[in-house]
Amino acid sequence: MNSILSRFSSTNALPANFDNEGGRQDFQDSINGAPAQFDLPGTEPARFLSQYTDVDSSNPAARIKLQHGTTTLAFRYKGGIIVCVDSRATAGSYIASGTVKKVIEINPYLLGTMAGGAADCQYWECRLHELRNKERISVAAASKYLSNIVYSYKGMGLSMGTMICGWDKTGPALFYVDSDGTRLKGDVFSVGSGSTFAYGVLDQGYHWDLTDAEAQELGRRSIYAATHRDAYSGNTINLYHVKEEGWEFIANYDAMNLHYDGPGDNVPGAPGGGYGWDVRTQGLSSKLEATEGQQTSGQGGRFADEQPLTASVQPPQA
Amino acid sequence: MSAGAGESAYSFSLTTFSPSGKLVQIEHALAAVSQGTTSLGIKASNAIVIATEKRAPSPLVDDTALEKVSVICPNIGIVYSGMGPDFRVLIAKARKSAQAYWKIYGEYPPTRVLVQEIATVMQEATQSGGVRPFGVSLLVAGYDSARGPSLYQVDPSGSYFMWKASAIGKNMTNAKTFLEKRYNDDISLEDAIHTALLTLKEGFEGQMTEKTIEIGIIGTSTVGPVGGSGLKAPLFKKLTEAEIKDYLAL
Amino acid sequence: MSDITTLNGGSCIAFKGKNCVAIACDLRLGNQALTVACNRDKVFKITDKTYLGMTGLASDVDTLRSAFRYRLNMYRMKEEREIEPETFAHLVSSTLYEKRFGPYFIEPIIAGLNSNNEPFIAAADLIGCLNFAKDFVVTGTASDKLFGMAEGLWEPDLGPEELFESISQALLGALERDALSGWGAIVRVITPDKVIERTLQSRQD
Repeated sequence: MNSILSRFSSTNALPANFDNEGGRQDFQDSINGAPAQFDLPGTEPARFLSQYTDVDSSNPAARIKLQHGTTTLAFRYKGGIIVCVDSRATAGSYIASGTVKKVIEINPYLLGTMAGGAADCQYWECRLHELRNKERISVAAASKYLSNIVYSYKGMGLSMGTMICGWDKTGPALFYVDSDGTRLKGDVFSVGSGSTFAYGVLDQGYHWDLTDAEAQELGRRSIYAATHRDAYSGNTINLYHVKEEGWEFIANYDAMNLHYDGPGDNVPGAPGGGYGWDVRTQGLSSKLEATEGQQTSGQGGRFADEQPLTASVQPPQA
Repeated sequence: MSAGAGESAYSFSLTTFSPSGKLVQIEHALAAVSQGTTSLGIKASNAIVIATEKRAPSPLVDDTALEKVSVICPNIGIVYSGMGPDFRVLIAKARKSAQAYWKIYGEYPPTRVLVQEIATVMQEATQSGGVRPFGVSLLVAGYDSARGPSLYQVDPSGSYFMWKASAIGKNMTNAKTFLEKRYNDDISLEDAIHTALLTLKEGFEGQMTEKTIEIGIIGTSTVGPVGGSGLKAPLFKKLTEAEIKDYLAL
Repeated sequence: MSDITTLNGGSCIAFKGKNCVAIACDLRLGNQALTVACNRDKVFKITDKTYLGMTGLASDVDTLRSAFRYRLNMYRMKEEREIEPETFAHLVSSTLYEKRFGPYFIEPIIAGLNSNNEPFIAAADLIGCLNFAKDFVVTGTASDKLFGMAEGLWEPDLGPEELFESISQALLGALERDALSGWGAIVRVITPDKVIERTLQSRQD
């Protein structure tokens, strides 16, 4: 019992231990092009790495910046899987990039989404690209491989929250995998700092029998909602659709265009015109109007509760 | 209560009105002012002059230490008639007030604001327990960007007035009559100084020399740098004995 | 990350021009990553020709707004005149320094024309250290980005319309790189005879 436990304690669960297990050794060999193992620092990799990694945004001096702000979503419906993500990368409050590709095209049938450490996601999900035998790997198997790999590095600062999406013999399949080792099968997932906002729209509009156009609109509208409310999500939105014949890239949308102009004319499920609350309610919402002499200072009467104070002029002689 | 005892029965309580509506202690304070040496102020077109007679109580007093015209802050000066010690206290309070204003606004107070501060102090002395009214009237000369040159008088009651020309002290009635005849709106600073000297000369006891009068001026001709800002503005300036001597010689 | 000065987000900038000044701000009010409102004006009218911008902790901005309202109304009545922008800057400074050891978490900028219609801008830190700049001042979570934009876009002696264009581009550019500012912007250009106030269309993400 202790020997099993010790294998999974953070200091011992190193790839070096894989040599002792025939099964895993085989797995290592099967990943062509990947290093057989990573060079690891000194005695305690976890402690060593914590100096340079900023997993919970508490270490500003860290050199390995993790991409915390993100909104990604994927959901399964009768027509396949919709995958939709934003494209913002932040370092603190600085917007480092607005053109990040957060969908990783693993192979023509598999997509992975990226939240957390960009390098971790890219590296390990690309490794999945090498997974192939006589037939296409199932989404369940691919996601389990990924889950096992990241679990073997548990406690060493890997950070990723990903959705593995694909179409296999079982039909459309969707799995959530994160660096804690969690692996979940499900119909609707959203990951990242803006996920709560995306869920709000997604849950409200979701049902299994969505048409393709409606489903795409739901994904787009959900990520838009997250870009609007979440400071760390935004810029452009990438939309993918996983179908039986493989995935299809639908479009890249600028969040600003979606806000002011919307996705275009006659999109099923869309409100028509821009998504923006202020755009949709223009001329309809009630507004405090200033009365004569009240200080308004822009914002059409936002300060209308303030009475003007005319300086009372004293008699020139007391 | 007999009519004769009426006034005197109220005359010791500072804060009790007499039946005729007077605060008798304030009247007494004004009487103290009227016994003081004469001071006067004149507003010229772009300046203010204040002047006073300065008399040592004894020839043995070293009159170089006597001062009746005081600088409050770079743009304000004050002269008084009445009780010297009371004036000293007011000067200290006025100077503190001016520096407190500078601490908040980074500039010295306009004349009117400082006058209001002093007037408030003087009014409080007419309504507080355990004190007596100040036995002085003040003439405040100042210059500020808001109102330009201005001349104020503050009385023991705490009331204040803005004047074109005024006089306080022993000879104030005659001096005011004199000023009323001589004053016009667009006199120059030099003319105003001469008018001030002529007015003081009316009823001056003894010899009027550079030792027995004091003159303070402020206006667009007394400009200099204020504080550390390097910006130039009119400064209140006391004339030196040599300068006064020159004016007297003319 | 639970830094009180960046809790609500928001930014301000002021440019000095030729016989005019401009002051602009974003409209976001946030709670860390969450954008709560998009109509949070951060620039306040002090007199007809003096405006004050405050960024930082929103509750302190509100508190100081009413503190300055009080002090200005007292000033108006006591002095029977409007305060000059230079004088107001000192009032802001001394008000902030009063709380030297428990400061308000705001950084103000002041922009205005004085009674001679000379342009004036100034900024202060949270305890009132004044900076009388000759060109531009910035404050807020996007201040480092605003510095970059202003260094590139500001030039001397811009007229009202050029100044508007210049400050708008500087602000919008900086907002694109700051996660905690944006969601709309308001620009005010103060000239001797009028104040031009315009709301900018900007990114809403």
